[in-house]
Amino acid sequence: MSISAQQRGIARCTECGKLSHLPELGHDATAACPRCNTALNFRKPQSLQRSWAYTIAATALMIPANILPILTVISFGQGDPDTIMSGVVKLWVADLQAIAVIVFIASIAVPVLKLVILVILMLVVQCQLPLSRQQCTILYRFIHFIGRWSMLDLFMISILVTLVHLGNIATVESGPAATAFAAVVVLTLFAANSFDPRLIWDLDND
Amino acid sequence: MAEPSHIPHEFTACPDCDLLLQTAQSDHTLEGRCPRCKAVLWHAAKHTDTVSFAAAISGLILFYPAMTLPILKLKMVGQHGSNSLLGGIYRMWLEQEQILAVLIMLCSLLAPLLHLLLTAVVCFSVRFNHYPRHFPLWIKYKCLMQNWNMLEVYAMGVIVAYVKMMHDGEVTVSAGTYCLSALLLCVILCSQYFHEEQAWQHWEKNKPA
Repeated sequence: MSISAQQRGIARCTECGKLSHLPELGHDATAACPRCNTALNFRKPQSLQRSWAYTIAATALMIPANILPILTVISFGQGDPDTIMSGVVKLWVADLQAIAVIVFIASIAVPVLKLVILVILMLVVQCQLPLSRQQCTILYRFIHFIGRWSMLDLFMISILVTLVHLGNIATVESGPAATAFAAVVVLTLFAANSFDPRLIWDLDND
Repeated sequence: MAEPSHIPHEFTACPDCDLLLQTAQSDHTLEGRCPRCKAVLWHAAKHTDTVSFAAAISGLILFYPAMTLPILKLKMVGQHGSNSLLGGIYRMWLEQEQILAVLIMLCSLLAPLLHLLLTAVVCFSVRFNHYPRHFPLWIKYKCLMQNWNMLEVYAMGVIVAYVKMMHDGEVTVSAGTYCLSALLLCVILCSQYFHEEQAWQHWEKNKPA
């Protein structure tokens, strides 16, 4: 039987990783890490509530991010606004399959996967679903690693808007979906950061 | 208020599953993993802060050219266009996308700069055994900035933009790309070789009373 640090009254500092005996705290009382002075808790405070809030907000913003136009390429006065998906399709049709796959993974697959995995992890903790703790932890590490790659589309927009700024010949304009998509990326990053994977393992300790 | 008390160094808890573990000092060979969830608990510290210090200084030298020199150049029907990292942020600001401009500035300019700067300062402090009062804050902000540093994603964005414009005009790679690649290498070395636990232990041993 493995013992968690919390069962021994030991808290690990989230910033510097130092272990300290955390005494029973009264209401409103706080403790600080003796090494780096960060607030000390056994688990991230309000982890689930915060993760749910960020996840729900991100899910809502997925709708404008995918429906509204994100990029308009105008060459010689002509050009239609592109949504994220129609941009991917255009790349695929133009025989740029490799780039189409990269953009699809970064701007559609990653945000959707992240939200689905976050919901699964939070349901596992809340409804005590009997999923493998090990696999849940791997999923948690996966969303942490992959989250930043959604920024790809935004960086690409910034590069294209500046590079293709040729007056009447060709210009690239960003659309309203870009801001919504940026919000989705940032909110999912926050959601993943506020989730505490130790809650999954706590289910076994009760 | 009750004060948290110290735990001896031979104990550690897994950051991902909170398993309490005992670690022998001789175990610090290469890399330690949690037996339950396989999280990395520690990794070897071999002349590490020398490499990250050097990488941070090189990165800071490369920083200005990487931000301001043109990364890609485009030639279309006799017209020329080019972009730099800083120019991209400025353009987004002018195009009424201020929120995006700030986010891109944070992830591709501010975070890498502060990450390199704070790593250099922390390594300098450890090396010369001089610890200012706000040393813990510096390490904390360094970790925060490391998380927001997305230069590698930006580099991928450059590749995607290059391939995307290849058919419409003549795209050429310019001086900024080489500086950006070198800067990226420095940032990666800087974060791979920095040993956080070591810096914390130095601080704990030598902190001013």
